[in-house]
Amino acid sequence: MVNLNEQPAVAVRGLTKRYGEVVACSQIDLDLKRGEIHGVLGENGAGKSTLMKVLIGLVQPDEGTIDVDGERCRIDSPSRAGLLGIGMVHQHFSLVDELRVWENVVLGERERLDAKHARGLVASIGERYGLTVDPDARVGDLTAGLRQRVEIIKCLRRDPSIVIFDEPTSVLTPQESEQLFEVLRVAVEREGKAVALVSHKLDEIRQATDMVTILRRGAVVDHGPTNRFDQQALAQAMVGREVSLRGDQAAALGLTGAVLAAAGAAKSRPASASPIVLSVDGAVLDRHGHRVLDGVDIKLRAGEIVGIAGVEGNGQVELADVLSSLVALDAGTVSVDGGVVVTGHAGEMAVAGIGMIPEDRHDAGCVLNMSVAENLALGSIGAGRAFRRMDRVAMRDAALRLIDRYEIRCSGPDAPFESLSGGNQQRVVLARELSAQPKVLVASQPTRGLDVGAIEFMGEQLRAAAHDGVGVLLISSELEEILHLADRILVMHSGRIVGAMNRSEADVETIGLMMGGVAVDQMTGQMGQHV
Amino acid sequence: MFEAIGTLLSSESLYTSAFQLSVLFVFAASGEWVAERAGTLNISVEGMLLAGAFGAVVGHQWVASSFMGLAVGALGGLSVAVVHANLSHRLTANQFVVGLALNVLVLGLTAFLDGSFDFGPARADVVRLPLVADVPLLGEALGNRPWPAYLAYPLIPALWWAVFRTRWGLEVRSVGENPQAADVSGIDVNARRRQAIYVTGLTCGLGGAFMVLGQVGTFQSGIINGRGFIAIAAVIFGGWTLRGTVIGCIVFGFVEALTIAIPANRYSIDPFILDAAPYIVALTVVLAFAARVRAPNALAQPFTRGLT
Amino acid sequence: MSKGENRKSLVARFATRDTGVAIGLYVLSLSAAIFVSALLVAATGGSATAVFDALLDGSLRSQGAWGLTLTTSAPLLLVAVGTIVATRAGLVNIGQEGQLLIGTCVAAYFAVRVGGPGWFVIAVALLAGAAGGGAWAGIAAGLRAWRNVPEVLTTLLLTFVAFPLMTFGLRQSWLLKDRDTERMNQLNSGERLPANANLPDLMIFGNSIDSGFFVAIGLAFVLTVMVGRTVLGSRIDMLGFNPRAAQRFGVSAGPLSAAVLIGSGATAGVAGAVLLTGGAASDRLVFGFSGNFGWDGLLVALLARNRVMLAIPMAFVFAMLRTGSSFLAATGVDRKMTDVVQALLVLALLLPPALLFIRDRRRSLAPSNLAVSSAPIAVEVS
Repeated sequence: MVNLNEQPAVAVRGLTKRYGEVVACSQIDLDLKRGEIHGVLGENGAGKSTLMKVLIGLVQPDEGTIDVDGERCRIDSPSRAGLLGIGMVHQHFSLVDELRVWENVVLGERERLDAKHARGLVASIGERYGLTVDPDARVGDLTAGLRQRVEIIKCLRRDPSIVIFDEPTSVLTPQESEQLFEVLRVAVEREGKAVALVSHKLDEIRQATDMVTILRRGAVVDHGPTNRFDQQALAQAMVGREVSLRGDQAAALGLTGAVLAAAGAAKSRPASASPIVLSVDGAVLDRHGHRVLDGVDIKLRAGEIVGIAGVEGNGQVELADVLSSLVALDAGTVSVDGGVVVTGHAGEMAVAGIGMIPEDRHDAGCVLNMSVAENLALGSIGAGRAFRRMDRVAMRDAALRLIDRYEIRCSGPDAPFESLSGGNQQRVVLARELSAQPKVLVASQPTRGLDVGAIEFMGEQLRAAAHDGVGVLLISSELEEILHLADRILVMHSGRIVGAMNRSEADVETIGLMMGGVAVDQMTGQMGQHV
Repeated sequence: MFEAIGTLLSSESLYTSAFQLSVLFVFAASGEWVAERAGTLNISVEGMLLAGAFGAVVGHQWVASSFMGLAVGALGGLSVAVVHANLSHRLTANQFVVGLALNVLVLGLTAFLDGSFDFGPARADVVRLPLVADVPLLGEALGNRPWPAYLAYPLIPALWWAVFRTRWGLEVRSVGENPQAADVSGIDVNARRRQAIYVTGLTCGLGGAFMVLGQVGTFQSGIINGRGFIAIAAVIFGGWTLRGTVIGCIVFGFVEALTIAIPANRYSIDPFILDAAPYIVALTVVLAFAARVRAPNALAQPFTRGLT
Repeated sequence: MSKGENRKSLVARFATRDTGVAIGLYVLSLSAAIFVSALLVAATGGSATAVFDALLDGSLRSQGAWGLTLTTSAPLLLVAVGTIVATRAGLVNIGQEGQLLIGTCVAAYFAVRVGGPGWFVIAVALLAGAAGGGAWAGIAAGLRAWRNVPEVLTTLLLTFVAFPLMTFGLRQSWLLKDRDTERMNQLNSGERLPANANLPDLMIFGNSIDSGFFVAIGLAFVLTVMVGRTVLGSRIDMLGFNPRAAQRFGVSAGPLSAAVLIGSGATAGVAGAVLLTGGAASDRLVFGFSGNFGWDGLLVALLARNRVMLAIPMAFVFAMLRTGSSFLAATGVDRKMTDVVQALLVLALLLPPALLFIRDRRRSLAPSNLAVSSAPIAVEVS
């Protein structure tokens, strides 16, 4: 039905974008053709997002041309992109929680507001692509998977000829990801659209795409039909050096299979020998009328890495907040080394020995407006007597030592924290937390947004900490990360721990079902009701 | 004592003055409600009201018609809104500083101009609404008032419809809850915020004009006297819903009417309580309701993408 | 590096093209404000030059003027300094007028009742002022801590409560009313302070500068040191920049915010006490005593972009308008004109930073021109 040799829906030539001295995109060429799913592969920092932001009109390129259906275009705003037939399914920023599904779907349109028509749209598009959702539900009440459906419907409602999916599977269980790929197939084959799938995961690209373009450091390093590349070739192109498809790098590259194989072969650490450093018992937390933590029980021993797997939005953020002294529990206790720690009191968790690498370091992990040295010293600023002189010399010296030890790339201890790259900011957080010699280290989505090198570094640091006797609690929605690093795996859903297993027993399908809320009898593998 | 209260509550004049004051609050607060739903916190309401009041006497002086007074009053409020909106949501100046400065500017300017020129009295005619005015006790208050007061009746449903039934309103609400998402969806966030403030300017202009044409009859420097801030308290009282805001306006109007009626009837309550009562009530209300209501998520947070 | 090179690099750092543009914008903006003011004066039949002259005479040129201006700037600076610390902690206090008023009332109450040498009465007055203003702000702090009520609203509403409260106090002899029943006191003013309870003046070149000014400068320096050099200051910054990070690391938002808010009320209260015991206002409590010193002090703080060192000259400018306006009567122009001029100046001072911000953002987002752009702005690239 679709002639694959006709001219591309979108032809990008020589696209370049600089931010000051940093080159985000360099002479990028890209062809998106109708009837094809085109994968854009690259590690975090390779320029994929910037490229997509240009196509969707949020960012203006410095050089290069874009042709849509053969016509030279200038995409200067999201509405212009919409008029040209380009739509993007965003990860986070496109839905307004307080509005209903149908209101969100028609947000940004020009025509008169018609609720009945909008509801009808939601139903019809849902049917066409296999995405059902209640048009009158409040978006803030939906799960991540359903919210993504709303995003997709919102994007498809304009009937774009070109649809871009930006890292869509990070909020999905493995089963939901499969369903998503089916939706993509429908879009391309039945509706004749051109689909771009942006991802940093090799497995996904190999499974779901027809063509692939690989970006590295802002430039295209290779492109062609996906089946021309094997895993090794893709990995090497993406990272730029010899890559072993096992261990840290496999996890970073999203190679579930390789990670699993390695996991099965790994020796499990002797669990019962070391003392329990962190104990969360019956943690209950209510927020805005919802029960976000519904009796969470966790036991973490010194030297072990416990991974909490789960799709975002099931209480992980709130759990991390409790362990960061930001929120008080409504019931239940947190104990470090046997001693109960008061929840919700400023700084108590840190003083008790809980280090935190937060999901969003800008939220509570750093102070952007302060310098690197000050950020490294936040703990000592918060502790002790208030009226003593700030010993900036000592602070600077300590900072220099940490900058050296953790290889933090910055112009010096006095550099403003916000001038550092994401990876280096994360190193500052890591440096500060580890240098406080914590008993427990909580790492919450620690490698989000990091490139392969930074991900490897983080993995090494976490393992080194565990080796030194620190109990590591790894909260992550990236299953590969958990399978790779954790000795024991817990699965979290709806504010509860719904499954627990050792790494050697881990089975992706079971975990995936648990993440989706299906109760699985782990002995027999039988599925029960939805939890 | 109860007898005294009974006498007071059965006097028509209490309800009349309460209604007048409530109408003023409604003009101001309903406009500010729209602005706050868009995410802006607009403390120049005081200045807008004052500009409206001054505009009324200017308009009436120019053409001896209360309609002209209302029109020029609305323009007065609108001009203050234009300055506020563009400084705060086009040029990213701090909206609190801008609001405060505008209040001072309008206060000084109107006092200065009022002192330098002579303005005659400006009153609107009382119009009797046939069925409404026949209601016992409340009829005089609701149906036999200077006609600008009646503009408040259609204003409320009109604003409700605009915010909840039009595309413009949907965009205004989205801009107040999640400006990033609205932006990515192709909405000009700051344009909507400015427009919301223009609405506030218009309604406050009308409110100030009403204060002159329907209540006092001339312009005085102290004609607004802090009521703009009570209007802001009314929006919070109402939990950022229009219905709640209107109820708040009625409550505050009542309280203020009582502070006039009680000494007028020679009951002795210390003047301090009377003068401070509206503000204390506002404080109490804000205290009682702050924990339970939900403000628009992006309230008072400036948004900068799209200004360059 | 030799001294010459050092000096050169300092100059090179400051006298960039950017600074030139910034200065140009301010000059332009302020000239526009002055121009509009002149137009207004002319429109009502006055003479702009006469007004300008009168303002300068009143504030600087006439005998003893600049001393009076310095004296007048003291309460403004006191209010501003407290406000600046509160703003650094992320609080929005707009109730300084009420805090100043209540502080003055408490100061007046104690000053006329406690006996003793002059310096003692003054000390008591200043402390009482601090306590009164602090307590008034404390109500807002308490509401914030208890029910999370935003202080921008409570401090504002409390100001409107403060005025009738003072009027009430002025009507009761057991509170603030003049206890001297023989004096004709139709306006309900307070008791005159004992004669020795007058802040001493410093005479320089025929100008008498109230020591309140030095109290203000002293406090400004103390607070600058505290904020810049102590751990407390860093905690306040943390709180203002990122309260969640502050909470994580042991800086409990509650107590610290409350303390800072109370502190800013206290400085406003001291400003009131200084007005009472000093030479810039009446030595007895009268209705309207606060005279907008609170509001103006707030504006000084906001316009000084929360930098104490900038607040000092800014307070002086605002004081100039006050002392200058007293000379306006002779020109036939309404005194309210200075309110207008002041508001125009405020707006004029808002424009340049806003325009510069827009220009910088435009630069960082547009196709880059490396020769012209300022320091590289790191952006998340992924």
